[in-house]
Amino acid sequence: MKSDPIKSLDPRVGRLPQTDNPTKQPLDQFSTFEVFVQPAPGKPFRHEGPVHAPGLEMAYVLAKEAFTRRFTCSSLFVADTHDVHVFAPDEQALPTDDAASKAMTPSTFEIFQLTKRGKQSVQTGAIEAASPQQALALAHQQCTAMPYAFWAIDRRAIRFTASEEQDFWQTLPDKKFRDAAAYKGGEKLQRFLDASR
Amino acid sequence: MTALKELLYKIADDQLIIGHRNSEWTGFGPLLEEDIAFSSMAQDKVGQSYALYQLLNTLGEPPPDTVAFMREASLFRNCQLVELPNGEYDFSLVRHFLFDTAEALRFEMLIQSSHIPLADLARKIRGELRYHTLHANTWIRQLGSATEESITRLQQSLEFALPYALGIFEPSPYEDALIDQRIFAGEQALYTRWQEVVEDVLRPTQLSLPAWGSITPRLGGRQGQHTEHLTSLLDEMSEVFRIDPAAEW
Repeated sequence: MKSDPIKSLDPRVGRLPQTDNPTKQPLDQFSTFEVFVQPAPGKPFRHEGPVHAPGLEMAYVLAKEAFTRRFTCSSLFVADTHDVHVFAPDEQALPTDDAASKAMTPSTFEIFQLTKRGKQSVQTGAIEAASPQQALALAHQQCTAMPYAFWAIDRRAIRFTASEEQDFWQTLPDKKFRDAAAYKGGEKLQRFLDASR
Repeated sequence: MTALKELLYKIADDQLIIGHRNSEWTGFGPLLEEDIAFSSMAQDKVGQSYALYQLLNTLGEPPPDTVAFMREASLFRNCQLVELPNGEYDFSLVRHFLFDTAEALRFEMLIQSSHIPLADLARKIRGELRYHTLHANTWIRQLGSATEESITRLQQSLEFALPYALGIFEPSPYEDALIDQRIFAGEQALYTRWQEVVEDVLRPTQLSLPAWGSITPRLGGRQGQHTEHLTSLLDEMSEVFRIDPAAEW
């Protein structure tokens, strides 16, 4: 027997379109893209996390609000998770070029290092190399204090923030409504309690 | 009402009503990242309406909350496009694209406004609007070339929305005054620029535009003539505020 659905007090629920196919297909998610944020001009980019998206440009668009709607941001970039090459020196042998990467034209790779477990990978610079493996090997060679992991991303695979897009975050400091503290809930409660005492 | 106030009211009401409508997707968006992005842009639009109601307040109009929550539908000057119910996501995206293209171009023009506070505001929110149009254009290009279902859905929503979208450019009784006083270059100039951008964005997609001349604009919103949907939207939006209009939040 089909029971009546619970009626929501939220009027929006009653207006949602009826769909013929309420069961979700398993594993239907978009693939992932990694998001890197520069919190202020001149600071290194930090890895913030992934977004799901149908392509690189959509990933950039969705990453902007998913990761930079609260705290200061001066620039943002995204890359397909498959384009982020990782080398963990404690666990892996030094990377060597595979057949595909040998055919590559040299490029510039953004290099990131993970120096603390559970923290974000942070950009340490850029390296010219003929392949991601070579970029990782060079980053390893130039490094004195060994991190847990090196990341290398070919710049050609990155969707950067264009110069005219740097005003995306201009009004962010004004958006106090996204910060719970700005509502001064504690102060208002205290005033209410004092008044009713 | 002066030409300037009429202009500010119609822009502010557009931003408030589209912001409220888009915020109705919060929690129901088609994917988490999109839910966040669409909700965040809806907040931006309500914030922009607030800034415009503040400008009106400095010109002697009542405070923003009073203007937003205590007026009846016939006093709102928004175009009918923004008050239509959300329907399915394809319509909301198409509306977002058609409306935000016009909104971004309007504020771009207002950067040159002789009313300095308005020009300052237009300059300030330029980046917000740049993102909103990037978001809209990217989705339209994505879904307008993706699957048969996505293309058909967007095409149908486009054809449904276009007459209402042309209502954005309903001329004001003060067009000449606004242009002469260099407050705003006018709805006709905006409409021309809007057509070009809409055509540019749709060109690489499989969506097609009907001949502009074949579309009958849905006018009246700028004179307070609305669909029945605006009253129910206002009742819902104002429900809590009207319980105690003097409450401190």
